[in-house]
Amino acid sequence: MAKNDFQTDLLQGTLDMLILRVLNRGEMHGWGIADRIEQLSKKVLSVGEGSLYPALYRLQDQGWIESEWGVSDHNRKAKFYRLTKAGKKQLEVEQETWDRLTLAIGEIMKSA
Amino acid sequence: MKRLFARLGSLFRKSKLEAEMSEEMRLHLERRTEENVASGMSSSDARFAALRKFGGVEQAKERAREQRGGMWLEHLVRDTRHGWRMIVKAPLLSGVIVLSLGIGVGVNAVIFSWIRSLVFRPIPGVADATRFHLVEPKTDAGSYPGASWTEYRDLRERLRAFDGLLAFKMLPLNLGEPGREERVYAQLVSGNYFSALGLRPAAGRFLRDDETARPGGAAVVVISHNFWRTHFDGRPDLLGRKLRLNGQLLTIVGVAPEGFLGTVTGLDFDLWAPATLAPVLLTGSSELEARDTRGYSVMGTLRAGATLAQAQTELDATMKALAAGFPASNANVGAELLPFWRSPRGAARLLLGALAVLQGFMLLVLLVVCANAANLLLARSTTRRREIGVRLALGARPLQILRLLLVESVLLGVGASMLGGLLAVWGTTAVRAVPLPGVFPFRFETGLEAGGLAFTALLGIGCAIVFGLAPAVQAARVDSQLALRAAKTPAGRRGFRNVLVAVEVALALFVLVVAALFLRNFLETRTADPGFRADGVLLAAYDRSSAGYDKAAGVALTDELLRRLRATPGVEAAAVASWVPLDFHAMPLGAFKIDGRERSDGGLERSITYTVTPGYFDLMKIPLVAGHDFDPLADTAHGPQVVVNEEFARRFFPGISPLGHRIGGKPPGYEVVGVVRNALYETFGEPVKPMMYFSYRDRFNPAGQIHVRTHDAEAAFAPELRRVVRGIDPAFVLNDVRTLTEHVDKNLFFRKIPARLFAVLGPLILLLAAVGIYAVVAYAVAQRTAEIGVRLALGASTGRVVREIVGESMKVVCYGAVPAWLVSVVVMLHLRGGVLNLMILLGVPGALLGVAWLAAWLPARRAARVDPVVALRAE
Repeated sequence: MAKNDFQTDLLQGTLDMLILRVLNRGEMHGWGIADRIEQLSKKVLSVGEGSLYPALYRLQDQGWIESEWGVSDHNRKAKFYRLTKAGKKQLEVEQETWDRLTLAIGEIMKSA
Repeated sequence: MKRLFARLGSLFRKSKLEAEMSEEMRLHLERRTEENVASGMSSSDARFAALRKFGGVEQAKERAREQRGGMWLEHLVRDTRHGWRMIVKAPLLSGVIVLSLGIGVGVNAVIFSWIRSLVFRPIPGVADATRFHLVEPKTDAGSYPGASWTEYRDLRERLRAFDGLLAFKMLPLNLGEPGREERVYAQLVSGNYFSALGLRPAAGRFLRDDETARPGGAAVVVISHNFWRTHFDGRPDLLGRKLRLNGQLLTIVGVAPEGFLGTVTGLDFDLWAPATLAPVLLTGSSELEARDTRGYSVMGTLRAGATLAQAQTELDATMKALAAGFPASNANVGAELLPFWRSPRGAARLLLGALAVLQGFMLLVLLVVCANAANLLLARSTTRRREIGVRLALGARPLQILRLLLVESVLLGVGASMLGGLLAVWGTTAVRAVPLPGVFPFRFETGLEAGGLAFTALLGIGCAIVFGLAPAVQAARVDSQLALRAAKTPAGRRGFRNVLVAVEVALALFVLVVAALFLRNFLETRTADPGFRADGVLLAAYDRSSAGYDKAAGVALTDELLRRLRATPGVEAAAVASWVPLDFHAMPLGAFKIDGRERSDGGLERSITYTVTPGYFDLMKIPLVAGHDFDPLADTAHGPQVVVNEEFARRFFPGISPLGHRIGGKPPGYEVVGVVRNALYETFGEPVKPMMYFSYRDRFNPAGQIHVRTHDAEAAFAPELRRVVRGIDPAFVLNDVRTLTEHVDKNLFFRKIPARLFAVLGPLILLLAAVGIYAVVAYAVAQRTAEIGVRLALGASTGRVVREIVGESMKVVCYGAVPAWLVSVVVMLHLRGGVLNLMILLGVPGALLGVAWLAAWLPARRAARVDPVVALRAE
């Protein structure tokens, strides 16, 4: 249990950002988001699917995404998530913060 | 706000959200399983792989629930419901906690709101009264003699930092026709009094400036709302009617608003008259011109933009100028600005001092209550270890357990706050209704407002968190494995509980010692020798200032009165004095020079003064140590005389006899003819003060107090006294007939309230400490039932087991008691100037230890009597 907590904690902020990024391309259901993250990261990142849902509920509660039941491409019932206006703004903020952070860390790693 | 509603809504839509969440996760797993089957796995393998990739479904759900907004609300509702169930399940424990905490919080709230009213609403009926500052003349000797009327007019003219200064002075008056007079209390006031206070009349009008412009002024009076009700049944046709006051007819022009009682804290006035009426009401009074006739209180609000410091500078300069201009009355007199609640007149200072001490003490008591509640909860959380262990094993996190237990104690706190609030409402009303017998129209003004109630709630819930936190933290740290395996407490955990018991014992001991000290102090003043004998003396006040005698007629009348009283059967002695010792108000200070022993700086000596008739010392049983009593009233062969007390002789005539010396004033001065024993004059516990007694023959006073010492029951002599007085003059009215013992008891009133409180609280605190110790020891013993069983089975004697358990408990009790005892010794050395009261220092810990011993012995004995077989099976 303790190990698990550590992983999600580490991922929490980043996972939120990745979900927002994925949804920026259009609406998507839960397992689709998981697949896409894995795929886009060239299978380096694998999302613990269990922790995906808490993140989705959290984002929804903060008003950054919204959800609706619909039918998937395989003609199957699924809940679709989509970015809200506030979510788009949040994505920009996080993108910027992330860029600055990676740049700074990159500088340190290069010089040290 | 919108989100809160959404959350409240989601609380009710909970089942729907739950269903949707389950459905979503189920679909997810279904889809993954299908994918796995498609890639060639067997169906059971496929499902297992999907589940593995997902992680724990229920855990994910729980985490998701927490992410959803409004969960805190849902948890709160659930925890509250659970807490309530636990409280109801242990009604005795909850009852003790709520009751003790409720009482503690309630008493604190009563005192708190009383202090608040005194400081923030010092003048009942006047909005925003804190803006008023008193301008109080202050002598070098540190007393506040009040301002004279002329001085008030000077101050009003010269102090630019103030908006319209107003002045007032208390004046008792006789109301009604001769022979049927009643005593009423008025304030002589400046013309701007009501307007400066910002009041509006309930009927009619207030005083006009031109009515206070000339001495004599207009014969008008404003009555209080209460007086309107009691004397005119609140009828509207009272304006223009006349009241006979001290024999003069005054026209009623208006009624003060309801709730306005006048401007002396604690007093309730009936009337307000223009200050310029003084020469009319007090026949022949020169107080409007005389600069040495002081007694007015002066106050005002600061002009916009002016600071207190500016006002004080201006005031200092003004007083210096007055001192230079009128050295006879103003030499050595400065002035101070004081907020109204620090007024040297009225009950404010006395009351605030007493209340502050009381509040500090009651907060300490509240701490004892908290420690007790913590002990009780801690003891119970031990029995709940199994429940908590199960919760932890089922995945509850320590923080959730903590929250659960805290909610429970906050619920207790809320209950206690409600009880405390009710008590505070009742107590505040009761305080207002306290009957204060006596000359003065005393009245306590205190009210419970939102501030007081908020204080109550805050205190109650704050306490609940304080006492709930420790046991909750302990419980949340429980190891679920250990808890499930056995309901035994590991040894280490007992340390914390012991600390709590020690803390409770320490607090209780300290509080008890303080209570005992107060009680002892009170009892000591009761039995202290006041220097006179109070029992057997009947007192009656009179005021003949409106009758307009000259001095010779007045002295003759007094002489005749005493002669007739002494001739009445049953009377042992009779005398008249200007004051009665141990009254609420301060006595007049006289300034004087001693012939041949003048101070090198030319300054004046000061001492309190009394005016009495011959026979007074004999009546009061104040022994003469040198010289003789005053000459008879009718005997004018010798010049003015004075009798001084031993302290006066010691201070001003060190080493020599004061007899035959003259004390200044106009030549020839007063000759010292006698020295009497020191007595108490103003209050119990005062330092020994120098005192001068003058004779009614030399300093006639139209008002006074008749003293009659009777052979038996003095109170029964009252009708006889009235008969004798009426025999002299049918218009001679007696006010406030009471015994000297009653009078002295009244002075004890302010000491009596805390003393009674301590007398009631002392045993309660002892009981609380006993309950706390008993609970903890009883639970601890219950934990060790099995161990005790083993030891008994192995042949240990019952007595030995009991001795050991009691010994361990008493060791913990002593850890608390010893430091508290040492602190008490230090405090006592400070408070009582190095005097230790052994009875308190040994008696209080003795009682506490005795109670603690009993609280430990009872459960130990019960445990040791258990059949070893039963005890072993309990495991």
